[in-house]
Amino acid sequence: MRSRFWLTMAVACLLALAIPAAAQDTWKIGAPQPMTGPDAPFGDKFKKAYALAVEEINAAGGIHGKMIEVVIEDHQAKNHLAATVTEKLINQYKVLILTGGRASGQAVEIASVAQRLKCPYLVDHPSADIITAKGFEWIFRNNPTGTIYPQAFNRFITEIPGAMPKSAAVVYDNTVFGKSIANSAMSFLKSKNVPIVNDEAYSVNTLDFKPIMTKVKANKPDFLLMVAVSTTDAILMTRHAKEIGITPRAFVGFGGGFGVADFTTELGPLSQHVFSSAAWSGNPNDPDTRAFYDKFYKTYGFYPKEHEVEGYAAIYIIADALKRANLTGNLEEDRNAVREALLGTDMVTVFGKVKFGNWEGPLGDKYTNQNIYSPEHSVLAQWLGGKLLNVWPKDNAEVDYVFPDPGMTR
Amino acid sequence: METFVQSLVNGVLTGSLYAMIGVGLTIIFGVMRIINMAHGDMVMLGMYGAFWAFTLWRIDPFLSIVVWVPAAFLGGMIVFRFLLKKIVPAGELNTLLYTAGLSLFLANLALLTWSGDYRTIKLPYALMPLRPMGIAVPIPLAVAFGMAILITALLYWFLSRTPTGRALRATAQEPEAAALMGINVGYMNVLTFGLGTALACGAGVLLAPSLYLYPTVGQILVAKCFVIVVLGGLGSVPGAIAGGILLGVVESFGAVYVSVPYKDAIGFIIFLLVLLFKPSGLFGVGKS
Repeated sequence: MRSRFWLTMAVACLLALAIPAAAQDTWKIGAPQPMTGPDAPFGDKFKKAYALAVEEINAAGGIHGKMIEVVIEDHQAKNHLAATVTEKLINQYKVLILTGGRASGQAVEIASVAQRLKCPYLVDHPSADIITAKGFEWIFRNNPTGTIYPQAFNRFITEIPGAMPKSAAVVYDNTVFGKSIANSAMSFLKSKNVPIVNDEAYSVNTLDFKPIMTKVKANKPDFLLMVAVSTTDAILMTRHAKEIGITPRAFVGFGGGFGVADFTTELGPLSQHVFSSAAWSGNPNDPDTRAFYDKFYKTYGFYPKEHEVEGYAAIYIIADALKRANLTGNLEEDRNAVREALLGTDMVTVFGKVKFGNWEGPLGDKYTNQNIYSPEHSVLAQWLGGKLLNVWPKDNAEVDYVFPDPGMTR
Repeated sequence: METFVQSLVNGVLTGSLYAMIGVGLTIIFGVMRIINMAHGDMVMLGMYGAFWAFTLWRIDPFLSIVVWVPAAFLGGMIVFRFLLKKIVPAGELNTLLYTAGLSLFLANLALLTWSGDYRTIKLPYALMPLRPMGIAVPIPLAVAFGMAILITALLYWFLSRTPTGRALRATAQEPEAAALMGINVGYMNVLTFGLGTALACGAGVLLAPSLYLYPTVGQILVAKCFVIVVLGGLGSVPGAIAGGILLGVVESFGAVYVSVPYKDAIGFIIFLLVLLFKPSGLFGVGKS
């Protein structure tokens, strides 16, 4: 009697394991994302974007007759977990290719694992230069790097008469992302002889920026540059900066947090006139991109910004590579075939043009498999009336910029 | 000069809230020798209580505190009576492990129920700070400071002027002698835990408009509070108050004048120095 029970349980367990294996005959794309924890809102954006792309591609018949599937694993925005879930995706789920990552800290780990285990990784959002500057042939990136992101801001202060800062305070997080962006921004400013009056690194997810902002206020900076990889830091930094009473000619935010809807819903009128660099989300003046925005809005109820556009475009780039790859069923060969197909990518997505190549970045980083059109994907946007609108360069602008910052009118 | 005053103000305001949490922790230790690792999670529950009261029923946190503090008091008493009472005789280490487990349980229950998304309370009148003499004083923090002072003053009055309060202090000094004097030690324990929890929860409600809420916020706060209570002397209420304000001010000055990433380290260094020269803490009395 007893042994019959255990036998049944054993069979049930085996069946339970077998069922997923049998049901999943799809092309698997692995995506480590933060689904819980402080970065969870970003993970959710990518999940929605991937889902829309997957649905469209599968509705059109899939690839070589099979459907594609994105397997998302939660890394909770922790670097060591990113490495663990990447190994899981590669070894257990046997994915053909990886994408995602979200923050640069995690992406660096994912890239290391992917390179070591010979699985292609298409970076869709993480921006630290080092990810595509180590000569890793298995790593590809569609989005711009940290040193490229500020290009539009650099052009803004160079091209607009009188806009060059007389002094700048730079406050940044101590992650790979924060340091690389700050480094890029400060190098450019130093080359233009702009004195950096504050160079402050803070621990990510700090929650209290009043001491830093008190320090910054004492130096009365002409421009305040804020770098934040985390949305909560971006919001709190801006709030505390304005509360403490810093009045620069411009508040400039660098980082995903400065470009998401939460920034304006949490800050309300405090978000007004804040610039956001690295908010490239496709050219809004392009009809195909506009059509995508509208479809996304109809499906999910809000307009896509950089994360959603990047995620959606990444799936299309992967699908394009899968179409051109000669997939035989041998996992190692297939992964290599996908890698080679990616090398031959030459297409247009809602994010912009894509072609991977080896070239040198603005600060001399030698990129491998970095999108050669990245320098075009930099824009300066500004929060006006609760909306994030592109303001520079003119070709991508949706509206006129407001500069200098008129300050809070009580 | 303005920077100095601004830093001082920031430090005192934040410190007062640390102090309130610390006082709860110290009385629990003082009376029952329980190191309550779940204390920070009581603060977290208070924060979420304020958040839900505001989000669902539009009740201002500074009003809903009137409900949450008594609720936490009762809750604390129940937790002690049914969960902790049996463990206390097993020794301080076992109680520590038990409360650590309780802390994990509460934090993860919150994570499961309310998700890990960061939440804020946006008070409509709190958008811009008050500016007395050019020093920025955020409104919610100022109100919280005022209420924290009021509550701590009430606690002080309770402990020094009422018979129950005196009985509590007697139990803290020497439980066996207190029992011999006719004090119901069991009842004192329950009362103390309830009081400690109520203070933690109340501090959470007051902190909620000024801080981000997420399920594991308790763990960072409890670490700071242990520094405060040991710094001030375990079991000493004035010690916890002084320790809290001192830590707040030291962190604020450390961040502004020394270095921001090291501000936590500076707090701990001061802590180590005090312990080196006065092991029982600033206001500590003898054994600890």
